[in-house]
Amino acid sequence: MILLRRQLPLFITLVTGLTMATQYYVPHPVSEELLTSVTKWLQIIGGFALVLGVTSLFHVHAVKIRRQEAGWGYSGVLYAGMLGTIAVGLWANGKESIDGVMTAFGWAYSYMMVPLQGTMFAILAFFIASAAYRSFRARSREAAVLLAAAVIVMMGRVPLGEYILPLSGDVSQWILNVLNASVRRAILIGVSLGAVALSFKIIFGVERSYLGGGKE
Amino acid sequence: MTFAERMLKIDRRIIFLVIGLCTLLPLLYPVGLPIKISPEVRGVYDHIESLPERSVVFLSFDFDPASKPELHPQAIALLRHAFKKNLRVVAMTLWVTGTGLADQIITQVAREMEKENGKDYVFLGWSPGNTAVIINLGQDLYKAFPSDYGGKPTKGLPVLDGVHSLKDITYLVGLGAGNPGVEAWYVFGKDKYRFEMGGGCTGVMAPGLYPLLRSGQINGLIGGLRGAAEYESLIDRKGTAVAGMDAQSATHAAIVLLVIMCNVFYFASRAQQGRG
Repeated sequence: MILLRRQLPLFITLVTGLTMATQYYVPHPVSEELLTSVTKWLQIIGGFALVLGVTSLFHVHAVKIRRQEAGWGYSGVLYAGMLGTIAVGLWANGKESIDGVMTAFGWAYSYMMVPLQGTMFAILAFFIASAAYRSFRARSREAAVLLAAAVIVMMGRVPLGEYILPLSGDVSQWILNVLNASVRRAILIGVSLGAVALSFKIIFGVERSYLGGGKE
Repeated sequence: MTFAERMLKIDRRIIFLVIGLCTLLPLLYPVGLPIKISPEVRGVYDHIESLPERSVVFLSFDFDPASKPELHPQAIALLRHAFKKNLRVVAMTLWVTGTGLADQIITQVAREMEKENGKDYVFLGWSPGNTAVIINLGQDLYKAFPSDYGGKPTKGLPVLDGVHSLKDITYLVGLGAGNPGVEAWYVFGKDKYRFEMGGGCTGVMAPGLYPLLRSGQINGLIGGLRGAAEYESLIDRKGTAVAGMDAQSATHAAIVLLVIMCNVFYFASRAQQGRG
């Protein structure tokens, strides 16, 4: 069992990892064909992952409904929404419109999902304003710097701000282009080096948490 | 409790009301303040403007309805510009929840600009695999998308004449609201398949993409509603973004005012506590 649970996956990871890392630097047609095939596999696996995700979601909420846990009614709404959408989606062959005529699937998308998602996102503006009022205080020197930068960028990014404070546009551009870009780049380089290190650890079997727990 | 302390604990519904009014009133009574064009947005505009007729522009609508207010006007403005310049447009999405929206956008603008599906533009739709789709497109477009969103085989479409993979496109603009988005198109697309690219994103994402912009990895960036409004001004077709800028101006001003007020009350209450 160790062979199937540990050694074989580690071996596959090692071979695949090294092959694909090398492939990037080899522009030979065989190498390119390999990349084409592997990415096609990835697309197919991505499709299966979607099915797996939906199945898992159904399972989790079925358990909630069966046990009548707190908020199980929401799980019922989720079930109704998912099953309803799948049904109309299959009926419409996954198309929002056919020959310019909106299908039931298209209707559900345009008149339910679009406004619901838009509303959820729009609510954020209200909470951000309330949170800013409650917590954006110059409690320390660092917080004061952050506050000043935020006010300048917020004013500099809208016409009214540039009208009231004509310099705010240029200063906000400078903050974004110089201070923000350099700090972001430093973070990006750090994260990328971390990703490279983690990849090596996975390829060479040092990091094995992706194999999951269980008995060996 | 002092006045400053009372003000610090103000009912949040008052703040909600202020923000609601600041959004609603400018939409009902627009002021139309002039919009200054930033070099980032001009970068995308100038590049599209410089392309010869029938060049292939690839647009990736990587957003869902949640980001519609910011990215929908960007997509509309970009398509209007590309169609006006008589460029061929290949569009797709990496976000399954954005497929319907992307289809609506491209169909609407194509109809408005009298463009023909399959000849002037094609919408490839969505395919699973996230960033793997980008690599697959870079290897072979027809293997990644054997048929378009309408089910027509992509091979033989006049709009894809001479296009076999991402290597053959002239310009790519990724409109992203998250991951996969602009960064993914650079890392998995441009870096390997060498095409020129620009980006569009939500306002909150824009600062994160400045490193790509400053290093020339992307040649322009349309950030948020402001970026969309700038693009609408550049193509001289004012739409929902320009209309929304007054509301955004008022909301930003209100938030800045609220932050200043809360700090004044905070220091006032601290001073009173110190005296007490």
